[in-house]
Amino acid sequence: MRFLRKTKKSRLGVSAALLAVALAAAACGSSGGGGTSGSASPHAGGSLTVLEDSGYEGAWPVGLDPATNTNGAADQSYMDSIFGQLFELGSHGKIIPDMATGYSFSNGGKTVTISLRPGMKFTDGTPLNAAAVVWNIQRDLKSPCTCKPTWPVASVTAQGTSAVVINLKAVFAPIIASFIDSTANWIASPAAVKKMGEKQFALTPVGAGPFEVVSDTLNSVLVLKKNPHYWQKGHPLLDQLTFKSVGGDEAAYEAMLAGEGQVYENMSTPALLKQAAQHFTVVNQLSTSPYDLQLNTATAPFNNIKAREAIYYATDIQPIVSHIFDNLYPLTQGFTAPGGICYQATVPGYRTFDLAKAKALVKQLGGLTVNLGTINVLVAKETTQALQTEWAKAGIKTTIASYDLGPLIAQFTGKKWQAMVQTAGAYDPAAGVGVGFRFSSLSPFSGVHDPKLDSLLNQAAGTLNMSQRCSLYNQAASYINQQAYGPFYFAFAPANVAAKGVTGPGLTSPLSSVVVTPNIPWEDVSYSPGG
Amino acid sequence: MAAEAGPAPAGPPAQGVPGDHSPGTAQWGSAGRAVLTSPALRVTGKRLLSAVPVLWGVTFLTFVVMNVLPGDTAQELLGANATPAELQTLRLKLHLNEPFWVRYWHWLSGAAQGHLGDSLVSGQPVTSILGQRLPVTFELMIYTFCLSVLIAVPVAAAAAYRPGGLVDRLSMMLSMAGLSIAPYVLALLLVLIFAVNLRVLPAIGFVPLSQSVVGNIKSLTLPALSIGLPLACFYIRLLRADIVEQMQSEDYVVTARAKGVAPWQVLIRHALRNSMFGFLTVLGLNLGTLIGALVIIEPIFSLPGIGQVLLQSISDRDVVVVEAVVLVFALIVVLANLLTDLLYAVLDPRIRYGRPSA
Amino acid sequence: MAAPLPDTLLAPGVAVPAPAGAAARRRRRALAPDILIPAAILALIAGGCFLWPLVYPVPAPVGGSILSAGLPPFSPGHILGTDPVGNDILSRILYGGRVSIEVGLAVTLIGLVIGGVMGSVAAYSGGIVDTVLMRVLDVLIAFPALVLAVAIAEGLGPSELHVIWALSFFSVPAFARIARAGTLRLHGQTFMLAARLSGTKAWRILLRHVTPNVLPQLITFGLLGMGVIIILEGALSFLGLGIPDPAPSWGNMIALGQGTLSAQPVLVLIPSLFLLATVLSLNLLGDALRKRWGVR
Repeated sequence: MRFLRKTKKSRLGVSAALLAVALAAAACGSSGGGGTSGSASPHAGGSLTVLEDSGYEGAWPVGLDPATNTNGAADQSYMDSIFGQLFELGSHGKIIPDMATGYSFSNGGKTVTISLRPGMKFTDGTPLNAAAVVWNIQRDLKSPCTCKPTWPVASVTAQGTSAVVINLKAVFAPIIASFIDSTANWIASPAAVKKMGEKQFALTPVGAGPFEVVSDTLNSVLVLKKNPHYWQKGHPLLDQLTFKSVGGDEAAYEAMLAGEGQVYENMSTPALLKQAAQHFTVVNQLSTSPYDLQLNTATAPFNNIKAREAIYYATDIQPIVSHIFDNLYPLTQGFTAPGGICYQATVPGYRTFDLAKAKALVKQLGGLTVNLGTINVLVAKETTQALQTEWAKAGIKTTIASYDLGPLIAQFTGKKWQAMVQTAGAYDPAAGVGVGFRFSSLSPFSGVHDPKLDSLLNQAAGTLNMSQRCSLYNQAASYINQQAYGPFYFAFAPANVAAKGVTGPGLTSPLSSVVVTPNIPWEDVSYSPGG
Repeated sequence: MAAEAGPAPAGPPAQGVPGDHSPGTAQWGSAGRAVLTSPALRVTGKRLLSAVPVLWGVTFLTFVVMNVLPGDTAQELLGANATPAELQTLRLKLHLNEPFWVRYWHWLSGAAQGHLGDSLVSGQPVTSILGQRLPVTFELMIYTFCLSVLIAVPVAAAAAYRPGGLVDRLSMMLSMAGLSIAPYVLALLLVLIFAVNLRVLPAIGFVPLSQSVVGNIKSLTLPALSIGLPLACFYIRLLRADIVEQMQSEDYVVTARAKGVAPWQVLIRHALRNSMFGFLTVLGLNLGTLIGALVIIEPIFSLPGIGQVLLQSISDRDVVVVEAVVLVFALIVVLANLLTDLLYAVLDPRIRYGRPSA
Repeated sequence: MAAPLPDTLLAPGVAVPAPAGAAARRRRRALAPDILIPAAILALIAGGCFLWPLVYPVPAPVGGSILSAGLPPFSPGHILGTDPVGNDILSRILYGGRVSIEVGLAVTLIGLVIGGVMGSVAAYSGGIVDTVLMRVLDVLIAFPALVLAVAIAEGLGPSELHVIWALSFFSVPAFARIARAGTLRLHGQTFMLAARLSGTKAWRILLRHVTPNVLPQLITFGLLGMGVIIILEGALSFLGLGIPDPAPSWGNMIALGQGTLSAQPVLVLIPSLFLLATVLSLNLLGDALRKRWGVR
C-alpha cells in the first residue's frame, strides 16, 4: 500500500503542475490580446458550455421537434437556440416581438394578426414565411404535449408571406403571452421535417434560430454552432454553444468550479447559492409562480372551511423563508408574483399566523389529520417538513410524502389527495401553469370546484383591457382567500449562475420566469474568458 | 451489485464440484493446454448453446418486470395535464394497448433476427443508442479494470513478500477498509477531495478520446477509482493469499530457494507469475460485478454511458431500451464466464484453485 | 455495489490457511481480539440504534424545528448538529441505523433460509430439480440485479418492506449457490453414504448431516453478505428508491447530503462513517469466523 500512495501522490503533483501552467498561459493570453473588458460592445466569438439539471431542463428524451417534444418549457433553452422565438418575455411580463414584428387584435378580439420579420431563412435555405408558421401552428395544435397551444382556435391562415391570421371562437386575452410557454413560439423548417421524417428531424432539428445543431446525444450533450445567416446582424455573439446535462445543483456547481461549464440554469439549493456567489455571478430571476398549498375541497377534511382556516392560521411562513431559503423570496398572499403582470403583494383580509386561533379551530374540529404531499424536489420537500413541524404545534397531525412526476399525477387523478405544496401562477395568470391550472373546476390538478371562481377566471381571460383584467384577478384572489381555498407562501424563483466574463439577459440581469426558468435569449449572450 | 456476480463463481472454481455447470468448473481443466483441440471447441460450443436459454430467460424476466411496473411510456411522456384521449392516441401509436404476449412475441421475434427495435420514447433505433453510449461504458470498464489490477498486483506482491510483516498487515488492514466502503460514498469523497478542494480532476462529464487523450483519461479517473479501488482491495487480498500459499508450499519455490535465488526473485518470477493464471480467471468473472457499479456511478459523474440510459429508460417505462441494455449486460456476463473457463483450461491445466489446501 | 465481495464469496478456495500452530492456539482462545473487536463495535452500533433511544431521550429524527436548522456539530443539545430542516443528526443516525440493520438482517435471513433450503435440496435430489434450479439461478445471476431491485422499488413504491423484498432477489440465489456447492461436496462422504444406506429419510439426512456441515459456511457468507446488503440498501436510497424521506436511513442521509456536498460535507461524512464502521466490522467478523471455523 505504501508505494500505491506514492504513485498517486506523484501523479497528483504532475497534474497540479500542469494545471498551474495552463492557468498561467490563459492569464497571459487574455492580458495580451485583451483590453476589451469593460468596453460597451460585447465580446463576439468564443464558445460557451451551459449546464442543465438532468432532472428537468437536462432531459430531452424525445428530441427537439416542437410538435413532438413533450417536455415543453423544460427544453426551452435548446428550442430557443435552434428555432429562435416569435415573441420573447422580458422583465415583469413584458412581451417583446422577436422573429415576429408585432400583433394586432380585431373583430372584437376574436381575430389576431401576427406580422413576421420579412426575409428570414431556415438554415436549410428554405424561407421562414407565413405559410411555414401556419404549417407549424397547425402541427403544434395536434401535438400530444400538454405544452401545445391551448387557444380556442377556429382557423389559422396565412395572409401574404409575412402575416398570420388566427381566428378564435372566443376572446382569449393571453394568446400572445401563451406563445411563450407553448410550442407555438418555435418555428421548424417544414421542408426539413418532410425531407427527414419526424423521427430524424427530432434528432437533428432545423430552424431559423441563432444556432444550428452540430451533434445531439439525447438527455446528455447538445452541441450547437453559430447560424451565420441569423436575421439579427452581428448575432449570435457566440461561435459555439454546448448544453450538458448534469445530475443537479451540486454536480453543476462542482463542474463550474472545475471550469467544465460557464453557466448553470435554475439553481435552487440555498446552501449552494450562498457558496456559488463567492465565485460566480448569481442572479435571482423574477418570480412568476408563488409556492402555494393546494387543498382538496372535494373530500374530508378540507371540504370543511374550518379545517382550511386552521391550516392558514397554523402556518408561519416567515421562519421557513428565512431559515430554509435565506430570505431570498418575498412572501405572497395571492397567485401573482413580482415577475408577472397584475402583481398584488397582499390580499385584504388574508389570514396570517395565529396559533391560538389555529388551536381553537382544531379543537372545534375534534382534531385534524392531514396527508401532505409535494413533488420530489429538495426545496419542496424541506418546505413540507417545516410545515409538518409548525402544524404539530396547533395539534394538526401531518404525514408527508413526496412524489416523482408520474406518481404525483396519479395522486391527483386518484382524487384522494388532501393537501399538496405546489406552485401556482404564471407571468400571465391565464397562461401555462397559471391560476386556472390549480383552481379551476376543469383542471384535473385543481382542488377547487367553484362555479363563481370559474366565471371570474374565464371573464379575466376574455378581457383585453389590462387594468380591467387585473382587477378581475384581484377579485379572484380575494375570493380564494375568503373561501380559504389555499394559502400562498412565497414567490419562489430560481437563480442562474454564470462564470465571470459571461454577460447576457437572464445571466447578468434578471428576467421573468416562464414556467420555471426565464427564456434566456442565447443570441445576446457573450463570453470572454478572463474578461 | 456484487451479489449477483460475486457468489456465482464462488463455489465452483474452488470446489470443482462434479456436475456443476457453473463457470470455472475445474473438471475440464484437463481439456489441455491447446485451446484449439476439439474438446475445447466442443465445450465452447456447448457453453454457448447453454447460454441461449439463460439469455432468453433474462429477456423474459425483463419484459415481465417492466410490464408489472405501474404507469406506461405514454403517461411518463405526456406527464401532468394529459387528457385520456391524448394518452390513448399515444398508446395506439406505440402499440402499448396490445396484450403482453403479443408485445413480447413481437419484440422477441425481432430480436432473434437482430432487430432490437426503436426506443418507445425517442423513436431512435436502439442500436444507435447503444452505439452512442456503449463506448463510454466500455472505456470506463477497461480503465477501471486496468486501474484495479495495476494497484492490486504490486501491493499484493509487496504484502506477500514478508507475510505477517508491517507491509502485509498494513495492506491487509487498508484493503479490508477499502473493501467495506460503498462505491457511491467513495465517489463523493473523491469528488470532495480532488474536484472541489484540490480542483485537479473534473467532477463531471466525459471528454471523448478523439477530442483529447489527456482530457479523456482525466474525465474517467474519478469514476474509475470509485469502482476500481474497492475492487483492487478485493484483488489484493485474493492475490496475496495465493502468492503466500505458493511461496510456502510449491516444490519449485523450494527448489529455487535451495538454488540460492533471491526471495523477491522467486516471488516475482515464479509465485506471482503462477498466481496470475488464477487471478485472470477471477478478473473475468468479476466483469459482472463491475457492470452493476456502473449504473450508480455513471449518473454521479454525469457520464453519458449506458447506466444513465438504463435508469432513465426504467423510469420512462421504455421496455425496448431496457431489454437491449439488459441483454448487453447479460451477454457480457455470459461471455466473460465463457472466456474465463477457456482461459482457465488453457492457462492452468493443473487446476491450482481446485487443489485441497495444504 | 461495486461491492467486490470479501474473498470468501468469490473464491473460498483461496482462503489463507493460517499456520497450523497459530490456528490451533486461536481456536483455544475463546475471545480472540479479531472476533471480539468487530463484534463489540457491531454490538455498540446495534445497541445504540435499538436501545439508546429507549433509555436516553433523543430528539425525534423527523419534525425538528426550522429555527434550529443547519447547526454545526457540537452544538448544544445536538452533538452531531442538525440537518437543513432542523432535525437532530445523531437521532437520524440512530433511527437510520435501525433501518440499515433491519434490512441487512432480514434480507440475509431470507437468503439463508430460502436460499439455503433451495440449494441443499437441489443438490441432494439432483436430476431435473437441480437442473431447473440451476437454470433459474443462472438467469438471475446474468440479470443485472440492480435493474430488478430498481424495478421492484419503483413498482411497489419505496418502503422498508419493499426494499427487503427487492434485495432478497440478490441474497436467495447467492445463498442457494453456496448451499448447493457445500451439499454437493458432502456427496461422497462416508457418513452420508452410511446414513443413506441405513434408510434414513431424506429430510432427516438434510437436517442432521447436511445442515451442520453447510451452516458455518452460510453464516460466514451471511456476515460478509450482510455488509453488501447494507451497502445496497444505501444504493437504492441513493437512487431515491429506498426508505422514503423524511424517515432516515443511512443511505438516504448520504443521498440527501450529496445535494449540498461542497457546502456541507458533514451531512455526507457522518452517515458514511457509520456505514463504513458497520460494514467493516461485519467483514472483519466474517473473516475471523471463517478462519476460526476453517471454512473455505
